[in-house]
Amino acid sequence: MSNIELGLLSFPVILILIFLRIPIGLAMLAVGIGGSYLITGSFNPVMAQFKHLTQGTFASYSLSVVPLFLLMGQFATLGGMSAALFKAAATWMGHRKGGLAMAAIGACAGFGAICGSSLATAATMGQVALPELRKYGYAGGLATGTLAAGGTLGILIPPSIILVIYAILTEQNISKLFMAALIPGLLAAIGYMITIAIYVRINPESAGQVERAPYSERWKALAGVWPVLVVFIVVIGGIYGGVFTPTEAAAIGAAGTAIISLFNRSLTGKNFIEAILSTASSTAMIFLIVLGAGALNGFLAMSQLPQVSAEWVVAQGFNPWVVLIAILFLYLLLGCVMDSLSMILLTVPIIFPMVTALDFGLPPDEFAIWFGILVLIVVEVGLITPPVGMNLFVINSMAKTTSLGQTYKGVLPFVASDLIRTAILAAFPALTLYLVRLLY
Amino acid sequence: MSLNPVERFVSGLARYVAIAGGLALVATVILIVLSVIGRALIPLGLGAITGDYELVEAGVGFAVFAFLPWAHLTRGHAVVSIFTDMAGPRFNAWLMVVCDALMLAVAVFITWRQALGAMDKFAYGETTLLLRMPLWWSYTAGLIGAVTFVLVAAYLLAVSLSDAATGRQPQAGQGAVH
Amino acid sequence: REVTLRIHQMLPAQATIPADAITPWAAAVEEQSGGRIKFELYPAMQLGGAPPSLFDQAKDGVVDIIWTVLGYTPGRFPKSEVFEMPFLVTTGEATSVAFQKYVEANAMDEFAGVHVIAVHTHGPGLFHTKDPVNKLEDLAGMKIRGGSRVISDMLSRLGAEPIGMPVPAVTEALSKGVIDGTTIPWEVTPSLKVAELVKNHTGFTGEYGLYTQTFGFVMNQDSYNNLPDDLKAIIDANSGVETARMFGKVMDAGDAGGLAIAEGLGNNIITLDAVETARWKAAAQPTIDQWFADMDGQGIDGRALYEEAQSLVAAESSL
Ligand code: NA
Ligand code: NA
Repeated sequence: MSNIELGLLSFPVILILIFLRIPIGLAMLAVGIGGSYLITGSFNPVMAQFKHLTQGTFASYSLSVVPLFLLMGQFATLGGMSAALFKAAATWMGHRKGGLAMAAIGACAGFGAICGSSLATAATMGQVALPELRKYGYAGGLATGTLAAGGTLGILIPPSIILVIYAILTEQNISKLFMAALIPGLLAAIGYMITIAIYVRINPESAGQVERAPYSERWKALAGVWPVLVVFIVVIGGIYGGVFTPTEAAAIGAAGTAIISLFNRSLTGKNFIEAILSTASSTAMIFLIVLGAGALNGFLAMSQLPQVSAEWVVAQGFNPWVVLIAILFLYLLLGCVMDSLSMILLTVPIIFPMVTALDFGLPPDEFAIWFGILVLIVVEVGLITPPVGMNLFVINSMAKTTSLGQTYKGVLPFVASDLIRTAILAAFPALTLYLVRLLY
Repeated sequence: MSLNPVERFVSGLARYVAIAGGLALVATVILIVLSVIGRALIPLGLGAITGDYELVEAGVGFAVFAFLPWAHLTRGHAVVSIFTDMAGPRFNAWLMVVCDALMLAVAVFITWRQALGAMDKFAYGETTLLLRMPLWWSYTAGLIGAVTFVLVAAYLLAVSLSDAATGRQPQAGQGAVH
Repeated sequence: REVTLRIHQMLPAQATIPADAITPWAAAVEEQSGGRIKFELYPAMQLGGAPPSLFDQAKDGVVDIIWTVLGYTPGRFPKSEVFEMPFLVTTGEATSVAFQKYVEANAMDEFAGVHVIAVHTHGPGLFHTKDPVNKLEDLAGMKIRGGSRVISDMLSRLGAEPIGMPVPAVTEALSKGVIDGTTIPWEVTPSLKVAELVKNHTGFTGEYGLYTQTFGFVMNQDSYNNLPDDLKAIIDANSGVETARMFGKVMDAGDAGGLAIAEGLGNNIITLDAVETARWKAAAQPTIDQWFADMDGQGIDGRALYEEAQSLVAAESSL
């Protein structure tokens, strides 16, 4: 078997292992190690590589941002900021038709600004908003669908762990990617709100009525979210403004959210340990996948598959846009069964050289940023596409009276809104690149 | 739920090692914050903490190793269970055995190679750039988590083996909620 | 019998050394072997791992050949490190040849387990800073990126705040103000867009430049031993002093290109005069003395090695 055939074969093998419920990082590690053996004809190279690969991957300055952003999200979750955000959004928009669901989206966007993970955003906001939505007569599917979709704003609005990983994989500038994500992230929030407005117009019985809050209460509630604003401005502003590196920003964000939750008296010894253990789980999960991707990518590079497939795509003379649409479609499909981070680490090393070889009329840096944001959006859709959508599971497990089937149905309008937004951002790269061009 | 002594020891160890990793992460946060403040106050005669990059790498490296056993013990790794959910409990029980055996193999492999890497760094006398901290220190610190990972993986394999052999429902979770 | 050898290194394929030294070297060997030796080039750490692990990748047989910065593994090449001492470097070509001869005579034990194809240095490194450095005192409090532990030690003795970071991080760090300047040779400035980001460049009067870094282009020992004798001979014919000279020349050509770009942008190119240069040399002397003391601690006669390095560089530079 030729090296390229080995490279090609590795994908079905990995998928089979993954579908057999082998942890994704483990499957990538096993195939990477096995593949290197088949190509080099000896275990010596891969054994020698692992004398330093694990340490090099775990003790890496650029990846250190990942556990720090996770820790920041944990402290933000503890600090009661989700409740303050939802309260503020609800007093301003709750009385409108479907307003409480819109408020949940707004609060998710706000929480996404200080949390780099979708699941944490979905879980936290679900705890706060789900009981309120049910109390005011929102239909089960609308409530869970809204929060599952809102949770994706945790990744779409910077900071975003997936973008950090993409930046490292493709050697792009993290702060430019964060900046580029801002407009698409806001468009997502607006799109979800429009979706809710249309939904409740078609199904008026699906949303109840909330009393209009007096302005005194509104301003007071809004004033309650200042810590979120401060943390966001310091962290994201600090990265954009070059005051500190992303790792430093994440550490400052973690310290800031910890201090806020200390002042709220929501940080106790017990939940501090819980925050640490939860960070431990997510961190280890991500780093096992990154380590697996390191082993796999070394093997793929040796197989020459990335290079050859890039040359092949160019030689075929495909229309670049057709290739792009096919790739985005592939991500949507994979997203129905896989999680976002694994998808990125598994596919970007092959897909990125391929699309970079095509001409979309953009300079290489801008192309990489725009493509990264598009991929980010479609892999995030995967979090809410049935049957396997992690956000759907998390939210559904909190809503005791709503069946998974209702949640599946309730989220579909939001998936439709995601697809429309993807099409708009693909057709108009300038929307994504506007802030980057303005500020660099 | 009553815990047998082995289970109590393994889960306690994984928990304490993960907490130690978490404290290292918190220490890293404090270090970075102090360094950034120091850098901002250079005009006042302060400065960044020398070697802050190296210390961050050492701290986070130790933490990630320390987190591995906890994630495995709590079945925290990302899995796709949609297809296996359609299969019967016996199939899944034995699949769990295969999974745990593979994880143990990888844990042993990583630990074994890391130990050799540490010996290399010791033999070559390599240090970090600014603080000249011997590199074998952080390799060895990583081994604390790695060895715990091996213990946890061995324990979980024993559990899933006995579950599969006796037809008991697995007590551990069905996979990650990630 | 045909052999395929994998060459791994950290820079992108279009950077100076990969494009103008490694690729032509590989092409020459392929041609001289009548196609019996084939190379696969893996730039940008494509085969995995971090740049500091490159040397071990060759030693342990992860890949066949690597090119790396010896200073990425501080402490591992103490005798080779003497070439990083301040004000020892002249041109890339002369210093590379001197370094090759020096290593062959004094430091082969540091390369045990690999087959050395060539070692070399870059041309004189200099300061590239936001604010001009016209005298020693201007450096006080500046956050400067230094590439090796000797350079970092020297920077802190000169009054700067040394920041250790990998070369690819320099562009963003400069544009964001995380650092105020960097020490690198002209050769690296175009790919890092340094001349666009900072407007001041400070070098020194005379033949000697501030510092250099050392590089190794080495092969796994078994990969070499397993070659048939005629192919070994072809590798040997493309190893040693003349190969080191070729790498050094490529560095010098890169320096000229980088300087031309900065001149074209109308940047402020400062050459400190003889009096000021002498002050810098005096200020850098403690770094050299400290290195002697460190070497004494390891049972190495650092002073003798330093003097030998000095005389080799002077001889190759016709000084
Ligand atoms: Na976010
Ligand atoms: Na999905």
